[in-house]
Amino acid sequence: MNGKKTKIALFLCKCGANIADFIDLKEIESRFSGNDTTSFVETQDLLCSPAGKKNMLETIEKNKPDFVVVAACSPQMHEKTFQEVVADAGINMARMQMANIREQSAWVTTDKKKATLKAIALINAAMERSVLHDDLQPKTMECLTDLIIIGGGMAGIEAALLAANAGRKVTIVEKEISLGGSVIKIEEVAPNMECAPCLLSPRLAAVRDNKNIRVISNASVTDVLGFFGNFKVKIKRMARYVKESCIGCEACFEVCPVTVDNDFNLGLGTKKAISTLFAGSVPAAAAIDKTNCLHFTDGSCNACAAVCPFQSIDFEDTGEDIEVSAGAVIVATGCTTVNPSTVPETGYGKIENVYSMPEFERIASSNGPYGGEIRLKNGEPPRSVAVIHCVGSLSDGGVPYCSGICCMTAIKTGELLRKKNPDVEVYSIHDRLVFNGPEQQAFFEKQKEEGTHFVKTERLRDLRVVQNGTTIEISGPDFQPIAVDMVVLSTGLTPQKGTLALARMLNADLTDAGFFKADHPILRAIGSSIDGVYTAGCCASPCDVTTAITRAQAAAGDAISKLVPGRKIALEVMTTIIDEIKCAGCKLCIAVCPYKAIDFDGQKKVCVVNEAICRGCGTCAATCPGGAARAIHFSDQQIMAEIGGLLHG
Amino acid sequence: MDDFNPAIIAFVCNWCSYAGADKAGGQKLPYPSNVKLIRVMCSGRVDPQFVMKAFREGADGVMVLGCHPGDCHYRNGNMKALRRFKLLERMLSQLGIEKERFKLDWVSAGESARFQELAKKMTDTIKKLGPLHLRGMVESEVA
Amino acid sequence: MAQKPKVAFYWCASCGGCEETVIDLDEKVLDVVAAVDIVFWPCAMDFKYSDIETMADGSIAVSFINGAIRTSEQEHVARLLRNKSALVVAFGDCAWMGGIPALANLKSKKGIFNRSYLESPTIVNPEKIVPLEKSVYKGTEVTLPKFYDTVYKLDDIMEVDYYLPGCPPTAKIVANALAAVVAGQLPERKSVLASDKSLCSSCSRNETKPDSVIIKEFKRIHQVIADPETCFLAQGIVCMGPSTRDGCDYPCIKGNMPCTGCFGPVAGADQGARMTAALGGVIESEEEADIERVVSGIPDPAGTFYRYGLSASLLGSKRKDKI
Repeated sequence: MNGKKTKIALFLCKCGANIADFIDLKEIESRFSGNDTTSFVETQDLLCSPAGKKNMLETIEKNKPDFVVVAACSPQMHEKTFQEVVADAGINMARMQMANIREQSAWVTTDKKKATLKAIALINAAMERSVLHDDLQPKTMECLTDLIIIGGGMAGIEAALLAANAGRKVTIVEKEISLGGSVIKIEEVAPNMECAPCLLSPRLAAVRDNKNIRVISNASVTDVLGFFGNFKVKIKRMARYVKESCIGCEACFEVCPVTVDNDFNLGLGTKKAISTLFAGSVPAAAAIDKTNCLHFTDGSCNACAAVCPFQSIDFEDTGEDIEVSAGAVIVATGCTTVNPSTVPETGYGKIENVYSMPEFERIASSNGPYGGEIRLKNGEPPRSVAVIHCVGSLSDGGVPYCSGICCMTAIKTGELLRKKNPDVEVYSIHDRLVFNGPEQQAFFEKQKEEGTHFVKTERLRDLRVVQNGTTIEISGPDFQPIAVDMVVLSTGLTPQKGTLALARMLNADLTDAGFFKADHPILRAIGSSIDGVYTAGCCASPCDVTTAITRAQAAAGDAISKLVPGRKIALEVMTTIIDEIKCAGCKLCIAVCPYKAIDFDGQKKVCVVNEAICRGCGTCAATCPGGAARAIHFSDQQIMAEIGGLLHG
Repeated sequence: MDDFNPAIIAFVCNWCSYAGADKAGGQKLPYPSNVKLIRVMCSGRVDPQFVMKAFREGADGVMVLGCHPGDCHYRNGNMKALRRFKLLERMLSQLGIEKERFKLDWVSAGESARFQELAKKMTDTIKKLGPLHLRGMVESEVA
Repeated sequence: MAQKPKVAFYWCASCGGCEETVIDLDEKVLDVVAAVDIVFWPCAMDFKYSDIETMADGSIAVSFINGAIRTSEQEHVARLLRNKSALVVAFGDCAWMGGIPALANLKSKKGIFNRSYLESPTIVNPEKIVPLEKSVYKGTEVTLPKFYDTVYKLDDIMEVDYYLPGCPPTAKIVANALAAVVAGQLPERKSVLASDKSLCSSCSRNETKPDSVIIKEFKRIHQVIADPETCFLAQGIVCMGPSTRDGCDYPCIKGNMPCTGCFGPVAGADQGARMTAALGGVIESEEEADIERVVSGIPDPAGTFYRYGLSASLLGSKRKDKI
């Protein structure tokens, strides 16, 4: 407080009786009146009321203080209110400091004298600090308004369509050769038994026909640089040896001499070494399985190229590296299921006709390996089927949580089976059942009525599945053994493969379970821990199709509401800045920055904060051994002054 | 020691602990008036210099309160605080400041009662320890 | 011919290394002697306190005082020189920040006396004689200066105009300082006469430091064979470079020894607090017990981070009176 006489205006708020009854405001007035730096003290009944604000405004305009201290409630309640008042009075908003004498003194101190003394200390600290405040100006930045969406399943597709229809350019990066994700592999979605391919097909067509959407399939993200408003995403497109001109006419399928396992059908059934993902896929183009194609293994075959009516075969394809710029990234990489072979007691992989739930979904699908006919390995339809719930879930060895949606999928089995054969016996062997809301509950009641036997066990971990002649016997310590033809294992949901690597590229946090962590679990579930990186669908946590799409729409909507052509985005004002005169380039700030917001300038040999990324936590300022990093509005000097003010108030 | 009213400074992060203290206020949970708060954006902002400055300026105890591990608004600033303060604790005890005078803990925005409890406990602890006499803070021998 | 400026040298609680630095100026010392008139230098020449006492106030151009203040005699002479001098330069770390002697502030005076005069295994002192301010020897009262409880830095007891860092200051910065005095081209009063950036800014090893330093374990220099090219911190070895003023030309680093911090902290910083923050921040561990294990790799943080400046610590020596 040296140099020219600085004047501080102190406003005391009675907050009705909330402060006035517990703190002696007269005492405070006299303590700060006539003080060297206080230009005046004014007490008001309710400072945040229209009358209070008007009075405050006029008083400031008349007296023209350099700084304003408001002793009232918590800044979390009214900091913005009073910042606006001082700004309206022509004083920079950063020159207003609040002393929280309500929450921190009036309401928590039983003795009025002590409460008054504490309030004096709090006000004194606010004054000592306020005179060191620098003016702050809003900061904005030009931004890109395009989006990039990683993952072309249902969530990615819906996010893309929403943004593209709003006029934004969207790039979808899909790891498979065509879009569709996991939903395209499902026949019907419970509880309304909506036909999944029927839901998807028009959406796929819409993506195909939308000029704002670019799909890069058979591709993966290799690096992500930049920040909200200006990301650069590096993409590796793998060679597919078939050009975009392919329309998926399947003429080559007939002439291709090589048969391979059908991975779309999870290894059930076969396909040719040149194939599309499924009939009617988007992109429509086929792809060649290089490891099995004779052209590549021994050079003996060119059959597909010879027959292709569009000259689309391109054995020279090497893939390509693509860089896409975008304002925001939406992660829609979905999730996967626990592999039941990690639970050997289920007999999975050893006993015939024991299937995982995704395999059963393929078997039941009309575009599946058997054209939708549910049958045993010997070709017969099953007479009895048991579904075991929670395989690998809620256990130490598997996933320790309930995935929340698998009960619904599991009991759908009975619905699908009875459609083909009303006399089939269906057992659901479960511990706890989870159904969400009236429709799911009704679906459960319907399954009970229609004949699914719900077998409750508390010892799911102790189940044994063994082959017993032509049947499979399931036994447990607390129920009668059950003999069936087919067993379906309902497994929990886990993060998609590659989630950790992607999260590292994005610098985003994951939860303990390995899903993308929300920026805030309640207020901002579709934001990741990094600004401008959104999550849609199951990559944030297991969810049903409805929720996946809702999340996708919310993410895309939030992104396009912030990235508007012709408009700048607001940046954090209270960042850290590094004084390059003092900075020795020791780089320790870079190591502690949670957002990778600091770079080393090799030319100047100093560290530089990227204000577009910095969120102002100030960890670097606490770290800087040279005192070069300064947290704006929370500088060393300001906090030191506050400490002194608080202890000597 | 009954009339000893210890000065305690608590550095609280904006997102969790400050809000927790506000909630204690809103619920009118009383705690000793000698516990006074300084708001920082993140517990990771708390420079050991602030702690030492507080002791030097007359604090008998200092607390640093942040979000619970895993809940930091800035990803993991609280863990950086924890690492720093483990080292600081060792150094402070060499400089004659008892371990009990310095406390790093976590208070979420909802944990008003926990905040109250920590404030009370810290006050009790410091009352038992008595005023802080720093080395070099003995009556100055030089003129 | 104008009168040559008068210069005084004095030592307080110190090892004599700072005096050596003056000698280390080699032939340049002759230039110094030619340019100035040395009026007091007990370490090198025979002067009496009375020589100073009789001088007019402010008649010495500059006094270079090295050493910390531990006794009443040191305080007395330092104050005497202050009165007689236009400028006082705290010469070296002990005068600037307490130096090595200030590490004694980690112990009590009584404890140190007990150790030094009574308990040390090499001591034979059956009569348990310890130094006293006043004692009688063969019927005569003998006095010693008062031994203070605390080691003070020079500016704890008086105004100091400039500070020369180092343990000892290097010949180069001493020569620069002397030249500045002679030429009357001193910077702003109260300055430390060295760079305001830290050592990393000139250290040849900084280029080998990764952008994101992480420390999984602290290693002490005697526990490892340090790579002679790589940044010490990147090797997990505590190096005070990031928090220490540049200007020494890093002889220790060149000798494959980490910086121990003798050029002191950059402006306004507390070296111990800064190092605690910096090193603590880059420990890679999330588990409390593991963090304890990692930090125990620095067994003596106060001695490591304040080796040359405990008196300048926020908690070091002189305090404001408690309110």
